[in-house]
Amino acid sequence: MDWTPEDDQLVVVRGPKPGGAGGAYRIFGETLRGLKTTFARAVEGHHTIAYPEEKVPVYPRWRGRHRLHRFEDTGLEKCVGCSLCAAACPADCIRVVAAENTPEHRVSAGERYASVYEINLSRCIFCGYCEVACPFDAITMGNDYELSDYHRSDLIFTKEMLLAEPLERSPIRAEGE
Amino acid sequence: MPRPERKLITFSIDGREVEAPANMMLVDAAKFGDVEIPVFCYEPKLGAPVGACRMCLVDIEGIPKLQTGCSTPVKDGMVVHTQTRRVKDAQQSVVEFLLINHPLDCPVCDKGGECPLQDVSFGWGGGMTRFVEPKRHFKKPLELSPLIAIDRERCILCYRCVRFSQELSEDYQLVLHERSAATFVGTFDGHPYVAPFSGNILELCPVGALTSMPYRFRARPWDIENAGSVCTLCPAQCNVAFTVRDDRVLRVLARENEEVDDGWLCDKGRFAYQSIHAEERVVAPMVREDGVLREVTWERALEAAKAALGGAQGRIAGLAGGETTNEEGFLLQRLVRDVHGSPHVDSGAGLDRSGLLALGDPGLQATVADLEFAHTVLVLGTEPVDDAPILDLRLRKGVRRNRVKLAVATSRPSSLDPNATLAVRYAPGAEAAFVTALSAAFYGGAVDEPAQAAGADAGAVHELATLLRTSGGDQPGDVVVLYGQRVLAEGEAVTAPLLKLAGALGLSGRPGAGLLGVPTATNGRGLREAGVLPDAGPGLTAVPSAGHGATGIAEATAAGELSVLYLLHTDPLRDEPQRAVWERALEAATHVIAHAGFLTETIREHATVVFPAESYAEKEGTLVHPDGRLQRLRPAIGRPAGVRAAWQVLDELARSAGAEHGVHTVHSATQQLFAAVAFYAGLSVDAIGAKGVRWWEDDARAAAWPQESGLRAAISDLVAKTPLSRTPDYEEAPTPSGLGAADGATNGALRLGTYQSIWAAAEVEASPALKFLHPHQRVELSPADAARLGIEHGEHVTVGSAGATVEAVAHLRNESPAGSAFLQSGIPEDAANVLQGPLVEIRKATPK
Repeated sequence: MDWTPEDDQLVVVRGPKPGGAGGAYRIFGETLRGLKTTFARAVEGHHTIAYPEEKVPVYPRWRGRHRLHRFEDTGLEKCVGCSLCAAACPADCIRVVAAENTPEHRVSAGERYASVYEINLSRCIFCGYCEVACPFDAITMGNDYELSDYHRSDLIFTKEMLLAEPLERSPIRAEGE
Repeated sequence: MPRPERKLITFSIDGREVEAPANMMLVDAAKFGDVEIPVFCYEPKLGAPVGACRMCLVDIEGIPKLQTGCSTPVKDGMVVHTQTRRVKDAQQSVVEFLLINHPLDCPVCDKGGECPLQDVSFGWGGGMTRFVEPKRHFKKPLELSPLIAIDRERCILCYRCVRFSQELSEDYQLVLHERSAATFVGTFDGHPYVAPFSGNILELCPVGALTSMPYRFRARPWDIENAGSVCTLCPAQCNVAFTVRDDRVLRVLARENEEVDDGWLCDKGRFAYQSIHAEERVVAPMVREDGVLREVTWERALEAAKAALGGAQGRIAGLAGGETTNEEGFLLQRLVRDVHGSPHVDSGAGLDRSGLLALGDPGLQATVADLEFAHTVLVLGTEPVDDAPILDLRLRKGVRRNRVKLAVATSRPSSLDPNATLAVRYAPGAEAAFVTALSAAFYGGAVDEPAQAAGADAGAVHELATLLRTSGGDQPGDVVVLYGQRVLAEGEAVTAPLLKLAGALGLSGRPGAGLLGVPTATNGRGLREAGVLPDAGPGLTAVPSAGHGATGIAEATAAGELSVLYLLHTDPLRDEPQRAVWERALEAATHVIAHAGFLTETIREHATVVFPAESYAEKEGTLVHPDGRLQRLRPAIGRPAGVRAAWQVLDELARSAGAEHGVHTVHSATQQLFAAVAFYAGLSVDAIGAKGVRWWEDDARAAAWPQESGLRAAISDLVAKTPLSRTPDYEEAPTPSGLGAADGATNGALRLGTYQSIWAAAEVEASPALKFLHPHQRVELSPADAARLGIEHGEHVTVGSAGATVEAVAHLRNESPAGSAFLQSGIPEDAANVLQGPLVEIRKATPK
């Protein structure tokens, strides 16, 4: 397609000229509009939550730190080390090394169990795909969001840490709250 | 039979006109039109299809019922539909049927993620099952063998494993028991399925019914990386893919290369990777101090080696073992020959330069694929299943599918005898006389005399000659002679008649026919061509002064003429035939510098400096296949912290002696090698690529083979020097006086033959999974000899010769020829190389 420079017309839109009503609006109008929000909030009172003394309760479907589960009756781990969570993980933060159950050393219900199960929580993006991928409901997302630590290596959670009952540090929002 | 000619036809698939070779099965032909037909039981490598699983049903116009695509050859003008409602319904029904008894334990199953049943169910299945009744149950998991776990619930009865055992490896161990829904795969009486190629069924199984024990639950397909390389455990040099997780090799899979391995792998190649991560591996340099090997820093070890080499100018000998790459061999010969002025370098070629030039003539070479398509294959003095296992499968395939006539001429009964049109035996060590007799049968010379000297039947020799001559019908047939390197032990006495034989059969310059030598060392051919020879440099060029060969080195060292031994990936006490001489040599040597992965006896007792060797999964370089194919060895994993590459060490030692060669990476060494070897001209690692390049297939490179070596010149030269009726030396050998004559139990002497089992390797010993296969010494006897000696099968015996004895278990074989006894070499204890031969005496072992 041909292009002729004359076809392009530059339209310059200028603001109101200084002085007069237009000028006054230009100086105060928008500023007052913004200040309206400020004063409205000031009237409402303060909203600060004194974290960590005070915590916001999370919704039941909040995706916090993972938990691994055991069967309640037998005490065996639900996880069979199939590594599907690692396959589903978009952040590549799960590492599973499987091993075989023996009659003397039975860890899980199936033929195999996870001898190493690590989640690198400094990498985890809490998407919950691991929970979706798990064919045995062995891993679920808990509601703990307080995960900071002094060393990055401490954020690699091992199987024992994930299986242990978590400290109930994050309150769950009650029904209708 | 020669390769069939491919004719292209046109057929229609899903409305597209597609060209494909005539009579190709529809499943394969469909791929030419980018159509995938799902299969389970069909596997082209297994030969004729069986049509057992019904997964490949397609609609062909003109045929009322659906047809199996795997067993219907494509014809010109055929109209095929794979996407109709009828086909889809049939596919979904088949998947539903297959899944009726298949347990849903994918999360536990090792095949999960790389499972054809998962893929096909996902791609072609209905996604639903209507089956609510209980599934079939078997006890699981069970060990089919110490290497293979079987889960019969998962089996979909595709027959692949059974067909492999019955028709490919022909060990006839796997069978299907019972009928219909109760059918299960097993062995007779539940014996473990132990065979040299058993591991291939792991890769064949399309479900998780057969899984690898060493790989059991180790990793998932998404946890791993596949790294292609070459197996260096035997001269067959199969192409493999290492399964690597967390920088550890966890599994070895076949990487199909039709020209090398046809997609199969032996169990040694498949499971001996465990030696890479063995506890006992040497991973730090060591120096002997006060008689004890101690781990030291690299600086100190290199210092010690430099001092040893520097103080022994001209009195150094270099010996390279089979796992040495071309580059390492090239640098070793340069270090010893050029830098330190000592011509004594060898890789155990066992032949002089003229013999190597004659037998290696590009016109005379046969390829591995030729074994499958020749009219006749003569297996001469080698047991493929032990020496280069994958060739055994290739020979069986040729006989079974292409009606190749197989002739076996060996001293020890061969596992190929049942497949052979003709099997001829000769006495161990009488190869020269036998080949002389065979070639005389072609030229009308005296056959009886050399045949008698070889302990062979003259009639059988004539029969063999007739078979070789008439195999092609009216035309001269394509003959491939597959010979073992051990045949050439007598040098010119064998090469001359062998070349005459090749001349009589018209093998020179004939595609599809020729000679194929199986070296004893993995990279034997590459090391020869890289110049690790006493009388030839890189490219088999003549050297000004010839040095000692391997045995000569041992004798000269024992006599004090040489003082430093440089052992590159070799253990002479185990690999070399004359153990006694080598013991004296290692004792007499002032310094023994060794690159070793394991502290074998030689290293532990005699080495003064030990450099840790890279394993074959860590190494980079090139190798040469026995048929002349250059292949690339590529690193799959990183080296352990204390290990350095051998090329680095060799270059460092050369540099410290004042020779700067500019070797900065392994590829610069490769380039220097390709520049130094005339017939590698123009090659590069990129040109070699993933599948390798046969250098002699390029005319310019073939022409660069040293010219004085033309077949005719070699024959006339050698034949002039060697009269064909020459009787071999062994007749003049002294009668042994091994076990004391006063001993009443002493019996008659037998001829000693040796063989090296596929399992006789340091890597097998270091692999926990293969420990149960590690061979113990046994002596194979004919029942007639055993009866004469009063020995029974399984009895402990002492085999003696010239004062030396080995302990062995008597193993009686009906096929074994009377008058011969066969012992294993290459094992750490009681190996055959302790005995000098050629005659041995056997008696019952005195109870301890």
